[in-house]
Amino acid sequence: MVSAKVKVLNESGLHARPSSELVKTASRFKSEFFIKMYGYKVNGKSILGVMTLAAECGAEMELILDGPDEDMALKTLTELFENKFNTDE
Amino acid sequence: MKSNHPKILSGKPAASGIGIGLAVILETGSKSVMPEKVGEKEIGDQIIKFEAARENVLKDYERIKTLPDNSDASDIIETQIQTLQDPEVESLILKKIKEERYTAEYAIFSVFNDYIQIMEATKVNWVNERVVDIVSVRDELIEATRERRKKLSVEKGEVVFAKEISPAVMVTLSHIGIAGIVIERGGLTSHVVILSQSLGIPCVINVHWDRYKLQNGTPVIIDGTTGQVLINPTWKQSQEYKKRKNDEELRYQKARKWTAEKSETSCGHPFSLKANVEFSEELANLKPNGAKGIGLLRTETILFETEDFNVDDQVAFYQNMLESTEDESVTIRLFDAGGDKVVDQSEPESNPFLGWRGIRMLLDKKILLRNQLEAIYRVSGMFKDRVKILIPMVSRVEEVIELKDHCSYVENLLEKKGVAYDKNIQLGVMVEVPSVALTLDVFARHVDFFSIGTNDLTQYTLAVDRGNEKISALFDSFHPSVWKLIKMTYDSASSHQLPVAVCGEMASYPEAAACLLGIGIDDLSMNAGSIPMVKAVLCQNTLGDMKELAKNVLSTNSISEIHEHLNSWRTP
Repeated sequence: MVSAKVKVLNESGLHARPSSELVKTASRFKSEFFIKMYGYKVNGKSILGVMTLAAECGAEMELILDGPDEDMALKTLTELFENKFNTDE
Repeated sequence: MKSNHPKILSGKPAASGIGIGLAVILETGSKSVMPEKVGEKEIGDQIIKFEAARENVLKDYERIKTLPDNSDASDIIETQIQTLQDPEVESLILKKIKEERYTAEYAIFSVFNDYIQIMEATKVNWVNERVVDIVSVRDELIEATRERRKKLSVEKGEVVFAKEISPAVMVTLSHIGIAGIVIERGGLTSHVVILSQSLGIPCVINVHWDRYKLQNGTPVIIDGTTGQVLINPTWKQSQEYKKRKNDEELRYQKARKWTAEKSETSCGHPFSLKANVEFSEELANLKPNGAKGIGLLRTETILFETEDFNVDDQVAFYQNMLESTEDESVTIRLFDAGGDKVVDQSEPESNPFLGWRGIRMLLDKKILLRNQLEAIYRVSGMFKDRVKILIPMVSRVEEVIELKDHCSYVENLLEKKGVAYDKNIQLGVMVEVPSVALTLDVFARHVDFFSIGTNDLTQYTLAVDRGNEKISALFDSFHPSVWKLIKMTYDSASSHQLPVAVCGEMASYPEAAACLLGIGIDDLSMNAGSIPMVKAVLCQNTLGDMKELAKNVLSTNSISEIHEHLNSWRTP
């Protein structure tokens, strides 16, 4: 199991498009993926779970991965946060 | 109603024939979802139901996602697809079914509601805004769960009672071999009715059957010719209707004998009877009924029922039509979406029939239009001189000119790609808006033929919404003004040596078909099931008599006199 802390850099927060991108990317990996935020833990491959986090710009969360491709998955997902989910804003 | 009490309801006849069988009610979803539980043995069924519903809704969304010019909505749809595939949601729903023995419907309802509540409670705007999309996924899943139950419950030989039936369900029903259809709503030009006519399924519409406590399995008789629906018929009534059904079948068999005959009047004047077609399922009916080609191929189904409408899928659809019609012509009408057939429900129009439909929509959706034209042109190259294009809902000549620019664009594209196409492909305009009939000369310079759509021509001439039950009595294609516009169209087109066809349901009434022949229009297209009766009448009479009929019909301004002329012509 590996984990890392990340921050939402998108101005409008982890809104629909980034959420969708996050779930889509995470679903490509075999590892289980959980997001922990304010003591709240959701399945990171669940779009409704991610949306209920209602994470705004600046929100900090912990990505937890567990499985055969956990390192690669963590790296890819952390980068996704850093690149603002490849959105223009 | 007590279970054995005989009762006669009456509605509007929509597709002729007598249907005798047991009633089966197609429930259309009430929105309320009850926390119902099922027995241990039914848990498996509920799981299958949920998975099937999820699969079906997913397919719908995948299709919508590929609609062109839809990029604004594609993000929302992507989210909805992910919601359907959400592993957490799936496992929670399955848990509710397996462990708490709830119905699939309730499991879906309750799991989604938990998420919806959380989303509504956050103070973040974009989350609140997404709630509506999640609610719609929930409701569509529930609806799809119910639909599965509906489809499974109908058996061969039963008479289906429904509030309304979607085209997709109708196609499924037609495979089952039902004895008849009774619907509460619907107009004579709805898909259910058109398909019933084509497939020879008796159909009665506008029957308020739901006001009575009709039970599944109640014996019923429906008469699609008079519009009567008999619930729990007496022994005498049953005998009478069985006899009539036999007689009708005999008469139909007799008419069927004419299908093999040459298409000409008893005095030797040739005519052509083609079929109106919408679904591939109808193709098998063409030859047995004596249809010579397709005079109107409706293409909206591709829009609503296929995965997307890429060029290849369309080519396959059209190719199938041409391969099934020997050497005859196939007139393909461009997507006539809009009006009662809505593509984009996000912006409801207050007057859809006067709104963004047919060519008006196509000229705004250029990718859609060019894809369709490309598919048609490609097929035209495979079947030389057999493919024609028909433009729907034209009201001004500029629309035709603009459409022809798109045709040139597609021609250039195919030239570049080195794909063969018919360089003389015929282009025609639907005459359904009176403005076209009134200024036909202007159009004549730009097109190769005209085809009169009598349903819409009636609707637009008489200002009668054909879907509005309250004024359905005013919808009468035999109105003197409609006949006059038909005559004008024929005269004006003839002066330019351009052919005119009629592809409206008017042509399916034998006496009206005779009158059209009398006017000079000898190219008629109708639902395939009507062809034998029409052909029998046309073959057994002379053109002289038909001209006489046309003269009488056109010389009166009284709608009742017109009906008398036509009725008196009806062969016994």
